[in-house]
Amino acid sequence: MKKMLVAALVLSSIVSCKKTATPADENEHESVNKIVFTYTGGSGGPLSFVMEDPDGDGGNPPSRIDTIKLAAGATYTLNVKTINLVNGVEKDITSTISSQASSHELFFIPTGVTLTITKNDKDRNNYPVGLNSTWVVGTAATGSLRFKVMHKPAGIKGPNDSPTVGHSDIDLNIPIKLQ
Amino acid sequence: MFTKYRFGLVSIFLITLLFNTELAGQSCNYTLTGMVKQSSNQKPKAGLTIVVNPGNFRTTTDSSGSYSITQLCRQTYTVTLYDQNKLLQEREVALSGTYTLNFNLFDENTSLDEVTVNAKRDANQNTIKQTISEKDINQTRGQTLGEVLQRVNGVTVLQTGSTIFKPVIHGLHSQRILILNNGVRQEGQQWGSEHAPEIDPFTADKFVVLKGAGALRYGSDAIGGAVLVEPRALPETPGTNGELNAAYFQNNRMYVLNGMVQQTLKKIPALSWRLQATYKRGGNSQTPNYWLWNTGVKEFNYAATLVYRQKRWTTELFLSAFNTDLGIFTGSHIGNLTDLQTAIQSDKPLQNIDAFSYDIDRPRQEVSHFLLKSKTIYKLNDWYKLNIVLSRQENIRKEYDRAIITNRPELDLNIGTTMLDLSVEQNEGKPSQLLAGVTGTLQENVWSGSRFFIPNFKSTNLSAYAIRKWNTPSWLFETGLRYDYKTLTTFRNQNNQIRSLEQRFNNISASVGATYKINRDLRLLLNAAMAWRAPQVNELFVNGLHHGSASFEIGDSTLKSEKAYNFSAQLKYEPDSSWNIDVSVYYNLIDDFINLVPTLPPTLTLRGAYPTFKYIQTNALLAGTDISVQKIFNQHFTGGIKAAILFARDRVRQDWLLQMPANRFEYDLTYNFSNRRMRNSYVQLKWIQVMRQTRVSAGFTDYLPPPPAYNLLNIEFATTLQIYGKSTTFGLSVLNSLNTQYRDYMNRFRYFNDEVGRSLVLRVKIPL
Repeated sequence: MKKMLVAALVLSSIVSCKKTATPADENEHESVNKIVFTYTGGSGGPLSFVMEDPDGDGGNPPSRIDTIKLAAGATYTLNVKTINLVNGVEKDITSTISSQASSHELFFIPTGVTLTITKNDKDRNNYPVGLNSTWVVGTAATGSLRFKVMHKPAGIKGPNDSPTVGHSDIDLNIPIKLQ
Repeated sequence: MFTKYRFGLVSIFLITLLFNTELAGQSCNYTLTGMVKQSSNQKPKAGLTIVVNPGNFRTTTDSSGSYSITQLCRQTYTVTLYDQNKLLQEREVALSGTYTLNFNLFDENTSLDEVTVNAKRDANQNTIKQTISEKDINQTRGQTLGEVLQRVNGVTVLQTGSTIFKPVIHGLHSQRILILNNGVRQEGQQWGSEHAPEIDPFTADKFVVLKGAGALRYGSDAIGGAVLVEPRALPETPGTNGELNAAYFQNNRMYVLNGMVQQTLKKIPALSWRLQATYKRGGNSQTPNYWLWNTGVKEFNYAATLVYRQKRWTTELFLSAFNTDLGIFTGSHIGNLTDLQTAIQSDKPLQNIDAFSYDIDRPRQEVSHFLLKSKTIYKLNDWYKLNIVLSRQENIRKEYDRAIITNRPELDLNIGTTMLDLSVEQNEGKPSQLLAGVTGTLQENVWSGSRFFIPNFKSTNLSAYAIRKWNTPSWLFETGLRYDYKTLTTFRNQNNQIRSLEQRFNNISASVGATYKINRDLRLLLNAAMAWRAPQVNELFVNGLHHGSASFEIGDSTLKSEKAYNFSAQLKYEPDSSWNIDVSVYYNLIDDFINLVPTLPPTLTLRGAYPTFKYIQTNALLAGTDISVQKIFNQHFTGGIKAAILFARDRVRQDWLLQMPANRFEYDLTYNFSNRRMRNSYVQLKWIQVMRQTRVSAGFTDYLPPPPAYNLLNIEFATTLQIYGKSTTFGLSVLNSLNTQYRDYMNRFRYFNDEVGRSLVLRVKIPL
């Protein structure tokens, strides 16, 4: 009986020495919950438009989706930034897309407005990425822009993919006004 | 309305527990005799051991194959026939005078499924159960636990692609099923439909499925049933032996290696040990028309057992580790609702690379499970013994999504469980036996990652149970009662503020079972059980995207416990040794059944819109039948038919329940042969017919209607050859031999891809 108790004690000491984090410490790491479009090159200073969902997926729907307002007939350069926003602190995580450019592509699909969009940046296979693009704006109109970041597993990305190839990392409908 | 059942069951239990007196003063002068013969040539078999329980009467067959055991009482005995330590046959006999019981031994592989094997110390004699036959175990070596259990009639699998298989008993799965790994409740993230049980089937040589809610000893939450995964007993006679297993699966070019060595020391015969390890590596699977990219698997498992036996006590230490890394089909891991619709509309998966590779890339799962267990049996006196089981489990699950934000897993769940079970048990050998115990469980779950799914929690569970069984010549009764008290404290860190919430649940479960032996050939088993299950943390608090299923799940923190009232009956008819007919029916009422149902509107995120599912409670009815008929035509031919039919209703909405297995039929024909060189050989044709699920919900629309019915033809061949004096067993299987293109309703990836096509499997088993 004594031996048995010793064995039980030894066993319990073995099992209790492995201590992981306690349930009260929660460790959530970054995901994209804020997107900033910055247009340069038109008249006036750079134009910024923000789309954000501070509490992440679920909970409340995205709290802010700006209307993109651009001057009719102008030409802009767009830079897209993806940000992780936690407790008001921003962390730019655009580099996670640019460093894996060969498995990502950004798409801008306008409806109701005329826009000529050219993606300027290329991945290592010389396929388009879209974090940087040139926009030639048509005549004044109101419509919407579907913005998608498509994630494409190894070997699937091609030079002229349709916006349905891959999985959606980001998929947003943004109101747009050309004036 | 069903509260009355509860009180009914409890009072029946109490009456039987308190007022059942042992049948005293009976005469014990009966004799059991008989002969053991080989069926194929009618030659007597000498040197086999006959054990009669209760009482542990033992004898050995003489040169004429005869045996005789005297001084037996008027009661029901279990007569077991062993060759060395190997169980050959088991029968139940109700003695009321001198009785003759003859055994006919069929060649090893023709033995019928042992439908009820009353293992020693098994407190589930009156639950419908089925033990997987040795033949089925051999045929499934190298496959996952889910695929092994699917051999049981009434058990299906819930699949996620070609790599993840979860057992489903009578339509219920996940946390509604208990899996006991070597006597310890398996505790991981079993709530997830894409979380397969983390158990290496090679560590076991006995798999028992208990159907229904009667397995009170192990937990009240097993309202669907329980699965016992048991290792073979370590030999008590000094010596060393081992076994090597190897298998190759042509379809995904998977090879599996397993080795086991065990020893009982000559110098210290009280000490025995066993070591075993399994390595598995497979690549992409192939459907009849295309490869499935990223469906490889890598697995490494090991286990060690140490047993020390003393006169009054026996201690066993068991350690096991299970590590798997498995790919999730690239074409399934779609993003949002639009991606899902695009994927469904195409015949062939879009996001696929049609080629073979062993590489495992994102999306993938990396899961480890460790178990350390000590079990001590202490004989208190001649009649009672104390069992002390202490265990610790660690389950680490890392889920990597397709998109890379960081190199870390998007969902990393770490759950640790410590359990102590103390029970007092009456030895066999009296017509009635009592088993009573208490169990305490502590559990902690910690998550990290970027995709919130379930919160951190601490949970404690205290329970007490008592099970009593007793025999009369033609009746076998068993009653059980259990009380559970559970606390669940969840933690959520939002805006640097930790909020915690404590919830408590408690309830009573009970079961009453009786087996009535109508006559020598016909036996009727009746079982009624009441069980409850506290809502699990995912059902209460889930709020997030489900890995790869394009669905957003939302829990409900106000859910109550589920209550199940389970009635089942089994009629077994064995008119002579060549027939085996088993008809089981079940009627399982579940009040406050927790069900995941689609809801509107879809959840809007920056990643697009997601179809959304909520946990709600309803009242359910799951009723059905499992029928099995087996016939030995002659020494060469055996055949069988199995049918499993289930009706699953939502009693509140008057609608069918979602995601329930369709009607399933199986037909098999086996040709057995043996000669001087090829022993225990057979060729088996098995035709599996799965109907279209027509009982689908009218209220909730699915993205894709259930797939059509399909038929599969599997061919199995096995033989045992003497190679360098070793009885080496070879097996060759052709699974889906007609290369049928099909999809299964119970596969969550049926929206995306066909099931795997033809696969040749080669197996070798070498005893050492």
